[in-house]
Amino acid sequence: MFINKIITIPKMQKWRYFSIVLGCLAFIGPIAFLPQLAGGDDMCGGLCMRRFYLYYPGMTIQDLWTHMSVAFVGVFLFFMIIAVTFFNGRLWCSYVCPVGGMTELGSRLLNDRWKIEFRSLPQIPIRYGYFAVFVLVMPMLGISACTFCNFITVPRLVETFMGEYRGLVFIISSVGLVNLALLFLFGFFANKGRAYCQFLCPIGAVDGVVNRVGAHFRYTHHIRVEQNRCSGCKLCAEKCMCGAIKMVNQIAVVDQYSCMSCHECADVCDWNAIELTTGSRNKNPKRVRKNIDIYPEPNWQSILKIKPKAKGKKKIKTKPAKDAKL
Amino acid sequence: MLYLILFLLLTASSNLFANERYNDPDGCFSCHALSGLQYIDKQGILRDASIEQSHYYSSLHGSVPCKDCHRKIRYYPHKEENGQVNCADSCHVNEPSIGEAFSHKEIVKEFSDSSHGTGASKGFTGANRLAEDDRSKSPSCRRCHSNSAYIEPFQMEKFKEAFQHTDTECGNCHQGEAWRNQLSGHILRRFIGARWKKSDSNKLCNDCHADRSEMQKVELKNPENDSKHPADYRWQHASESYAKSLHSRILVNGDENGASCIDCHAPDSHTSEIKGFRHGIYNALDAKSATHRENLMQTCGQSNCHEFSKNSSNQGFVNTDLHSLDQLALSDYSLDALIDPERLQSNWYRAFLILGFISLFFILGQIIQFIFYRNNPGKDPIFGSNRFKNIMLGRPQKKKSFKRENAKTNAKRNFNRGK
Repeated sequence: MFINKIITIPKMQKWRYFSIVLGCLAFIGPIAFLPQLAGGDDMCGGLCMRRFYLYYPGMTIQDLWTHMSVAFVGVFLFFMIIAVTFFNGRLWCSYVCPVGGMTELGSRLLNDRWKIEFRSLPQIPIRYGYFAVFVLVMPMLGISACTFCNFITVPRLVETFMGEYRGLVFIISSVGLVNLALLFLFGFFANKGRAYCQFLCPIGAVDGVVNRVGAHFRYTHHIRVEQNRCSGCKLCAEKCMCGAIKMVNQIAVVDQYSCMSCHECADVCDWNAIELTTGSRNKNPKRVRKNIDIYPEPNWQSILKIKPKAKGKKKIKTKPAKDAKL
Repeated sequence: MLYLILFLLLTASSNLFANERYNDPDGCFSCHALSGLQYIDKQGILRDASIEQSHYYSSLHGSVPCKDCHRKIRYYPHKEENGQVNCADSCHVNEPSIGEAFSHKEIVKEFSDSSHGTGASKGFTGANRLAEDDRSKSPSCRRCHSNSAYIEPFQMEKFKEAFQHTDTECGNCHQGEAWRNQLSGHILRRFIGARWKKSDSNKLCNDCHADRSEMQKVELKNPENDSKHPADYRWQHASESYAKSLHSRILVNGDENGASCIDCHAPDSHTSEIKGFRHGIYNALDAKSATHRENLMQTCGQSNCHEFSKNSSNQGFVNTDLHSLDQLALSDYSLDALIDPERLQSNWYRAFLILGFISLFFILGQIIQFIFYRNNPGKDPIFGSNRFKNIMLGRPQKKKSFKRENAKTNAKRNFNRGK
């Protein structure tokens, strides 16, 4: 039964799960390869990716520099992630991140019935609202940014299972217990296990903005929709772990702020209507100029602007959308 | 040739200095250098008065004649009490900037004013040797500025091995016995300087403050009304809760950007009264304390620290709890502390009670599902699946258990027909 479940996983997703497992091995657990390079054995201190951009009133560039130098490896990794995101979509989040990845794999192992569906919540206001609180309000009030950090909780949880005393000490402190409960509610018991990434992760919030900016350009790889091919079958929206795909007028519309480029939508689409790809490279092909565009080139659009209609069926557009943005 | 002469001159002069350190004008070592110079004091304790000559010479005070500090001793034989040393006395060295005799007076004053100060007056008589000092409640100068070796004796062999040093080979580079002994011998330590890492000075504080069984016995003095009260839970755990903070974690990782104990509790200078000899540790309620509410802005905003904390909108930041008990493991809590209403008021507790209850609900649900409905394929999540279908999939939800009802009615019909 369990094997059947595994067999039905699309090939690309198997690779993704495998990559997440590799990411978990590299960042947490007994090996913790990268953190040890950074001098610690967890994802704090030298490897902290999320603390350095906190804003304190009256902060100078010198202070920012100090914050960055404390966590130099994390800062380097952070900018690497952003660069990758700009050109190739949020590959860190969906393929490597041990924290989100572990909760996702855990959640997929559990039964779907006893879970919370977070995906329909208004993601952008919640995420960037919390991000603003994280960056501006929490530092001013003196709430430690480390208290709500999953990057501590998950490694410590793994340590606890490895029988290490230090992990246990954190997990059973009252801060650790709150974090553990958050990990369960927003991770393992969230449908598809990515609620924490979507709502509370500051790296995800920054990454989302970069993803949206990158999607503006035609040469970047992002999840793009060919709206003439979309049949409106909703499979991609059901499978999307981020809740980034919304059916508007029976066409899949990708919210690039939330999309993690995990490729699952492309795997389930029977019509090749959604794909991790660049926009059409040739802006103005010869055959269009010659007016013999019989098999129109796919028009991959990352940002679709379709006004929802109250009721009614999808209009099949016969002419290729020339005026569409990308 | 010129360089050679210079070199020779330099080595000659260094030898001169080295020789100078080996003076004993008072002749104390004629007795005290003897090993096994022991006596039984008034309390009936066996005491060892012998001083290892090389250790003394290689200490920071090695060039200082004994009588410069042990001033009351004039003649032989001398009384035991006269051996007392006052660190605040002015000494033989002239401070070049002022031209006056150098003295530890200011530091001793700062220290004796501080919370640790009660131990300072004990001096250094034979009746107050280091072995007892380790066990005493209040530290004296010597408690921290001990004469321990740079390279611990048990690590000496390892050191020699690592650097391929043998006894004879040390002398090839480290010429002059005084120099050599400083490395392996005894030095009165200063804790601020290039050689010392912040974690080293933390270790010093932790030698006492991490020992909870000892810390429970300590009585604190309230500076507001001078009343004494036993140390509270928070104070006893100060060392542990500090270890959980980012200040400490950065230091542990070997990064000097963190903050040590004395960086906050005895910073360079925070008020006009305290000139910053880094000995002025006070109770946080004392207005003189660097960790007093009024002084925090100055303390956190030291150079190379959080200078932005002087901005008035960072009030909350300044009052961050750096010894937060919420980070401590619950297993450490005694029953009294667990019931303590102050602890139950913590918002983290409340948040956990709510969130923990909800997640328990889901855990139980998963277990029930796993045991009883194992072969059922996963259905829609119990929370929010309707909303998801309406909003994200853009379709109205079908009526619940439509099929099942149909099946039931059909079954009934068939049953009735059959009848």
